[in-house]
Amino acid sequence: MVTFFYSFQSEWLKTKRSLAAWLVVIGGFFIPSIMLARHLLYPNQIRTESQTPRFWETLMSQSWQFMSIFLLPMGVILATSLIAQIEFRNNTWKQLHTTPQGFSVIFWSKLSIILLMMFQFFILFNIGIYLSGVVPSFIIKDMDYPQEPFPVGYFLRTSCYFFIDCLPIVALQYLVSIQFRNFFVPLGVGIGTLLAALFAIQWEYGFLVPYTYCSYNFFILRGAKMEMMQTVNIHGLALGYFATFTVMGYVFYLLKKEKG
Amino acid sequence: MYSIEVAALSHRFPNGDWALENVHLKVRERSIYGFLGPNGAGKTTTLRLLLGLLQKQKGEILLFGQSFEKSRLEILRHVGSLIESPSIYGHLTAVENLTIWQKIYQCPKNRIPEVLKLVGLAHTGHKKAGQFSLGMKQRLGLAVALLHNPALLILDEPTNGLDPSGIIEMRALLKNLNQNEGITIVISSHLLPEIEKLVTDIGIINKGKMLFEGSLNELMQRQQQASFLAFETNNNATALQLMHNHQLEAHIKEGKILLPHLPQPAIAQLNLNLVNQGIEVYGIAAVTNDLESIFMNLTDH
Repeated sequence: MVTFFYSFQSEWLKTKRSLAAWLVVIGGFFIPSIMLARHLLYPNQIRTESQTPRFWETLMSQSWQFMSIFLLPMGVILATSLIAQIEFRNNTWKQLHTTPQGFSVIFWSKLSIILLMMFQFFILFNIGIYLSGVVPSFIIKDMDYPQEPFPVGYFLRTSCYFFIDCLPIVALQYLVSIQFRNFFVPLGVGIGTLLAALFAIQWEYGFLVPYTYCSYNFFILRGAKMEMMQTVNIHGLALGYFATFTVMGYVFYLLKKEKG
Repeated sequence: MYSIEVAALSHRFPNGDWALENVHLKVRERSIYGFLGPNGAGKTTTLRLLLGLLQKQKGEILLFGQSFEKSRLEILRHVGSLIESPSIYGHLTAVENLTIWQKIYQCPKNRIPEVLKLVGLAHTGHKKAGQFSLGMKQRLGLAVALLHNPALLILDEPTNGLDPSGIIEMRALLKNLNQNEGITIVISSHLLPEIEKLVTDIGIINKGKMLFEGSLNELMQRQQQASFLAFETNNNATALQLMHNHQLEAHIKEGKILLPHLPQPAIAQLNLNLVNQGIEVYGIAAVTNDLESIFMNLTDH
């Protein structure tokens, strides 16, 4: 456990100033910035909307609309692949594998960092949504603070579901990223599977494609009624895929004959 | 006591070619072991197997008397390595790079400025390692290898990319680490002159097979044995005949008669015999094979 803690610390240090770290920050504030700009450019609209009883739910739904279907899966694909690329690009796998820490420790600490960065993204995204809702009231004249109290529980629950729905993407991207030196391999796999997922959403068995769950969760958020949702628990499927891909990634990593 | 013992180590590439065939290797504790061989001889494969970067297929590897497979983590706690190009996180500074390894090795933080000073990188400040010259990266790689005070240093061509003064500095640093800190060093190279001033023991490998292993003195003795005499005369044919009559294995090469090295009185006697036969002797020279020629001869055959 102590070894894992130090390994985790060292992995966290590696993300400093990395492209993946920037992606998390920029990705987290990207949609909220656009929403904020829209609110500032069209003050009359936000003035009215902010006084509606479900202002926050609407704002969240609008923000997730852009994020959930394409940007979030794409961001996860990129960030996960970039974390593994840190070792390939810097020729550091060989040094890492000659340190006195088990291969399991390396695998799990790296995965934990990716999950932590994803968590960081969700925090920033939610803060961003909140700020895009309240900042106009400080800038726009005669605009009151939103009438509805901020629904913390609702935001947490929604984010938690999206987080779970991203996990299959993280696990599969991680599996591929630590196997291949060429960055375009995990990127190609990611984009290919994401496109397949976008096409598969309308298909009755689309829920079998592991990258579809963020989109499905968005439809649930919007109150869409899809037949398969009556019988299929997409969050459970997401967790199942996550567990399967993670175990596969772990086994492939351990069995890798050349470690750097 | 040996820091490294390798027995019957063989390794095959996925295409079926042998990378190593029945390699035996012993590195004495506190020695500086020069691991020599031309490019593609099997040096890096051997070192990668020693560090567990390649999965062992056949043979036995003991480090500090312990089986590497059984005591991997315990062994790696005492080993520092620099394999091929240095492992440096380009987006981080030298201190940040070392902090990463300091966390893993759980060694004192004050080792970071110490090793940076040791390798001459104390002044790099906020400069990112990606902007370092190849020589600076190589020195930072060495600092990483030294950070946790290892008992054994495994360095694969560590002078790559260094300028002549950098090579001299590196040599002095390694000698100092060996003599004052008692660190055993294995250093691979494809150039003998680069390490002959540094090493105490030498192993020569080519095409995956060990051709020589022993002390530098033993290699020197081979050098002595391989040295010969060159005679310049006005009548090489007659002189050669006379030498053959005296059971000497002489031959003519590039206008000179070459024969195995003889004791001084025997040289004087041979010279006298030639002169008595009316042959004018213009010169007698002892031709000594340098270590490089020995190395070349070993690896050529």
